[in-house]
Amino acid sequence: MRISEQAKQLCRARILDKAAELFAARGFDQTTTRDIALAAGVAAGTMFNYFPSKETMAMTMVNEALARGREEFLTRLDGSESLEEELFLLIGTELRRLRPLRPFLGPVLERSLSPFPRKSVCPEGETARQEHLECVRQIMLRHGFAATPEDVAATIYWSLYLGILASWTGDQSENQESSRALIDYAIRTFVQMISGVTQGGDHDC
Amino acid sequence: MTAETRRKRGIEDRAALLDLMPRQEEAARRRLAELVESVAARRPPTTSFSRLWILGSLQAKVTCAYLAYWLRSRWADADERERLKSETHLKAALELLGTMGYLRGAVMKLGQMLATFPDALPDEFARLLPALHFEAPPMHYAMVREVFLDEFGKEPHELFASFEREAFAAASLGQVHRARLHSGELVAVKIQYPGIASTIEADLKNLRLLMQPMRLGEDWGNVVAKLAEVERVLLAETDYLAEASFAQTVRDSFVPEEGIVIPRVYPEFSSRRVLTTEHLEGVHLEELLDSAPSQELRDRYTHLMTVATMRMLYRTHWLLADPNPGNYIFMPDGRLGLVDFGCTRQLTDEEWQLQVEVEEALLRRDEAEMERLIVKSSLYESAEEMGRERLELIGRVIRWQLEPWLTEGTFDFGDEDFFRRGMDAMVEVTRKGFMRGMPVHIWTTRFVLGARGVVYRLKGRCDFQEIYRRESGRDGGEMSATMAARNETSPPPEGEG
Repeated sequence: MRISEQAKQLCRARILDKAAELFAARGFDQTTTRDIALAAGVAAGTMFNYFPSKETMAMTMVNEALARGREEFLTRLDGSESLEEELFLLIGTELRRLRPLRPFLGPVLERSLSPFPRKSVCPEGETARQEHLECVRQIMLRHGFAATPEDVAATIYWSLYLGILASWTGDQSENQESSRALIDYAIRTFVQMISGVTQGGDHDC
Repeated sequence: MTAETRRKRGIEDRAALLDLMPRQEEAARRRLAELVESVAARRPPTTSFSRLWILGSLQAKVTCAYLAYWLRSRWADADERERLKSETHLKAALELLGTMGYLRGAVMKLGQMLATFPDALPDEFARLLPALHFEAPPMHYAMVREVFLDEFGKEPHELFASFEREAFAAASLGQVHRARLHSGELVAVKIQYPGIASTIEADLKNLRLLMQPMRLGEDWGNVVAKLAEVERVLLAETDYLAEASFAQTVRDSFVPEEGIVIPRVYPEFSSRRVLTTEHLEGVHLEELLDSAPSQELRDRYTHLMTVATMRMLYRTHWLLADPNPGNYIFMPDGRLGLVDFGCTRQLTDEEWQLQVEVEEALLRRDEAEMERLIVKSSLYESAEEMGRERLELIGRVIRWQLEPWLTEGTFDFGDEDFFRRGMDAMVEVTRKGFMRGMPVHIWTTRFVLGARGVVYRLKGRCDFQEIYRRESGRDGGEMSATMAARNETSPPPEGEG
């Protein structure tokens, strides 16, 4: 018997829901794929048809949240924002969507988004990177930054962004407000860098 | 800038700096100039905030040199080896200063005051005094929106009928935006920069580190207590709900006919990080002065400022510890608006008692008792232990602070001689490093200095004693009916300093 597409989607969603619950309750590392299959009421073999690993599950949740955040970000723009403001809104809106997953994100992001060379690259992590950077590229285009060497700017940006994610995931302050100041600072730094503004310590006070 | 022009400019700056430095022995001056130059020439890791690194301009360097000079005087009698060691600390201290996020502005202004005195005109000095407050970085509208989502789960334009994207005023911990409620009222919305509390904590930690190697000797314990006091009050300021409740208490102690307006708080649009209050129409001090107000108006505002301060002090034992001129709104109909009650300090019973005793001794003109109290509030056991010079100088400051209490009739706060005498004594105390005292005196001093700076510039006069007698309940049974009803058990009188 063939399962309908709708039933597949429901099953997939149920697995993700249960996985999220377990990750949040026990922590990512303490949750096994067996636990998730059991909670979702599916056979382990079936589950692997949907998700080859729990990293994939977690990063799928992350990507879905980020994508929703980016959609929402576009609706929040009114065209009057500066480059700094747009980038700030993008990151802010994405992180707000990511917030429910925050309790277990640390090890997930560390494994899936690590910028260092690895044996196996997590495809969902790569998707997260490319989709976010594409959105940033569009924003920069809107603000006339087409001339900046893209790979350099993207690498610098991505390093700052990973720093923000790392800080935000472990941020103990209320509403992660310490990270908000960091985002502000990091974006200003980035924009100043790609604007080619060179300021020494000896003027512009 | 080419390397050559940079080099030339460096030499010119050094010469100008040397010229402006304190007059002391040539070698020491030169070393200090080199020290400041070497710190200022260092490039900061990033310059994304325009205020991040402010040691670059000549004025900032002069300021730094004075701060350094002042710090150095702490070990002026040390031998050469000690002196070299201390200069290493000094250099570290100046570098640390550049990394401070929140306190740097205030520290730099302190240096500027030390640097410009006594050559500065009293008016310039009066301008600087109230500027001794702290600054948070500016926020763009995107950040404001995110703060609102965190605090209310809504965007500003959803919460309000309209909301101005640009702030119209800076607040000590953030900024203020104009908005209109759906019910039509114009409001002022104060928004706190996210994470400012941790910046304050980090700055204070740096200050402790910075001061530890100095030879503060017996005063070190006192310095630590004062830094803890500063941290406590500044952190308390980050809770806007506490401020809202205090503003309400203050509001309740005035009746509309008195001409003093405390804006109403809108709790439904307020949180720990956002405070929405009634917007008061009016101008700030600069704008008022530009309009060349009549003497009558100047006197009226001085009268109202004195009444407001006294009322708070005598009724609630609270001090406004942030006498920022931006906190006074001069309203078009001659009323005075008071805004921003974030930085306040309530006196403890013990502190209040001491103030009462000082004031009584002063009014009795009991010099022996005054001396005893000055020694006590400076945390010494006896006049001998305190030393004559210190006793005389601290006494001069306290007597200046209390001078209006002893003056019958109209007191002229715009009198240049009066103002200069006070500043003279204050700067002398600072330069000598006579800083030991009760932690609460940080706020009383800051308050008196700030407020006197404002009324000096206003060139205002008022019948201080009459206001004092009425507000303290010392007018021998002639206390007004409202006052009597408001406060049946009148607290004992007190002095500012």
